[in-house]
Amino acid sequence: MAEIIDIRHIAKIYEMGDEDVHALEDVTLTIKQNEYIAVMGPSGSGKSTLMNMLGCLDTPTSGTYLFKGENVSEMSDDDLAEIRNREIGFVFQTFNLLPRATSLHNVELPLVYSGIRSKERIARAEEALRQVGLSDRMDHKPNELSGGQRQRVAIARALVTHPSIILADEPTGNLDTKTGQDIMALFMDLWHAGNTVILVTHEEEVAQHANRIVRLRDGRIESDTVNEFTNSVP
Amino acid sequence: MNILESILISVDAVRAHKLRSGLTLLSVGIGVFAIIASSGITGTLSKTLSTQLADLGEHSFLIQRTPSMQFGGSWRKYMRRKNITPDIANELRNRMTTTNLITVSNTAPGYIIKAGLESTNPDVSLIGIDELYFDVNAAAISAGRIFNEQDVVLGSRIAIVGVDIVNALFPGGQPLGRRITIKNQEFTVVGILEKKGGILGQSQDNRVLIPLSVFVTYYTWRWDTSVDISVKAISRDALESSVDEAIGYMRTLRGLKPWEENDFELDTNDALTSQFSNLGYAIAAVAWISGLGALLAAGIGIMNMMLVTVKERTREIGVRKALGARKRWIVRQFLIESITICQLGGLTGVIGGLAVSYFAAMIVRSESMPAMTFTWPWEAVVFSVVACTAIGIGFGLYPAWRAAQLDPIEALRYE
Repeated sequence: MAEIIDIRHIAKIYEMGDEDVHALEDVTLTIKQNEYIAVMGPSGSGKSTLMNMLGCLDTPTSGTYLFKGENVSEMSDDDLAEIRNREIGFVFQTFNLLPRATSLHNVELPLVYSGIRSKERIARAEEALRQVGLSDRMDHKPNELSGGQRQRVAIARALVTHPSIILADEPTGNLDTKTGQDIMALFMDLWHAGNTVILVTHEEEVAQHANRIVRLRDGRIESDTVNEFTNSVP
Repeated sequence: MNILESILISVDAVRAHKLRSGLTLLSVGIGVFAIIASSGITGTLSKTLSTQLADLGEHSFLIQRTPSMQFGGSWRKYMRRKNITPDIANELRNRMTTTNLITVSNTAPGYIIKAGLESTNPDVSLIGIDELYFDVNAAAISAGRIFNEQDVVLGSRIAIVGVDIVNALFPGGQPLGRRITIKNQEFTVVGILEKKGGILGQSQDNRVLIPLSVFVTYYTWRWDTSVDISVKAISRDALESSVDEAIGYMRTLRGLKPWEENDFELDTNDALTSQFSNLGYAIAAVAWISGLGALLAAGIGIMNMMLVTVKERTREIGVRKALGARKRWIVRQFLIESITICQLGGLTGVIGGLAVSYFAAMIVRSESMPAMTFTWPWEAVVFSVVACTAIGIGFGLYPAWRAAQLDPIEALRYE
């Protein structure tokens, strides 16, 4: 399978007053197409920093980050925005939907930034909502939806651009167990359908859905293992 | 990228914060309202007056001791001027060769006219005229007759009255041949003036015309009589030469040395109109300046509101950036939002301003100016649209730029 992400020796150092905080140190990681990776670690392990890095929201202080061969480490803000728009589908813990927009419009949004015409946008957004089982909730606003439904809208929004990776940050963190399981099942379906999924979580149970688990501690990769237990091989 | 999308987002944002947006919008509206309403009113007035001002007919001009409209503090200079006596007026009439349509008149305000038990308010203009008055001035009678040379020379006790006088003294009756009393002198009504309407609420029909000789005898102090001379050139082209001739003879008759300036006023219809227009422009300028001041204040309000909006929607901006919005998209979104608010405010101001000036014009018209037509202040409307856009951009740019500079990670974390 083709490599999508190739990270070599990256470090991220934040200046906090006089002190330098090493959020990530010497992290090397490659992610291939159609992998299902869980990034785990306690808080302060650099998990969020790595996620921001993988999601092209931030650039490393040192090291190289190649996304499909493109050097992300040296990109401008606008170039990063473009690569996020094209290649990455975000799913957040708090959903982050636009509160006053309908499901359909929320899902359409990334396509607006891709410069796609309205007609095609709507068709694709409808298709994505159908994929997550929300065909009957297209005209609902977020406050008219349950937590699980909101997260499905967010997933549809992540899918609509056909991104290279889906990056989910604690996607079940704000959901009850049952709904959380439904959402995890949906990720499993997406993986089976050929998507590359990166899941950031601190819950062992959630991580066990993935076929590869990367554990972080103190800004370094502690372990990177294939998850033998996953019974859902694509 | 489509602009419609941004406009819809901003209209939605306006709806989401009705009070805040409403107040900001109102402040823009007030500025635009001042500009539109003042332009509408002054535009209409000056256009109407340019066709109606004064009694002067076309290619006529007026010679007076003092100007008919005075601005500024030069009244001392005017008060020192010698009177234009009826003798000087007659001499001018004899000497002028380019035209013989020269009429002499004098006006005194504030008379009470009585007929039997009826009487008018003490605000009637009494005008002494000669037989050429109607040939030179833009005035006519609707019934009866005008004065002839004998009337003026012999000092006949006859009068031509305006419509307001007829209505006040002879409601429903026939005024011709009836007697009226002006300060104990009796006159017989021989003619009725054609209705003229009013200028600035002052009726042009509230007047009585009597022969100048009678006027001078009974209604002036002999030592303080300064008459007005109206001259009509034979054509528009001849106006200038008649004006020059009149100035020349007047200077001679008044004994002015070549280096002295004219000690009389000579106004053409055009000059009077432009004098009034200048007054109108001055009023409009004041309204425009205050309107612009209000718009500037509104602009500051817009900036304040947009800064709050950006702060409040930090998370939304973070989401949009995460989803791939480039900086200029964010800038554009917030700029369009501030422009939209300015335009909505401008729209209310334009509608309000047009409505108020239109209805004001209609009220004035129905009361005193039947000939008035409303002049739509389109230039002011165009200006307002441009100004609103400029203010939206000018004061929206900084907040929009701030929004675009937000770090998506920080913004997403913002509570």
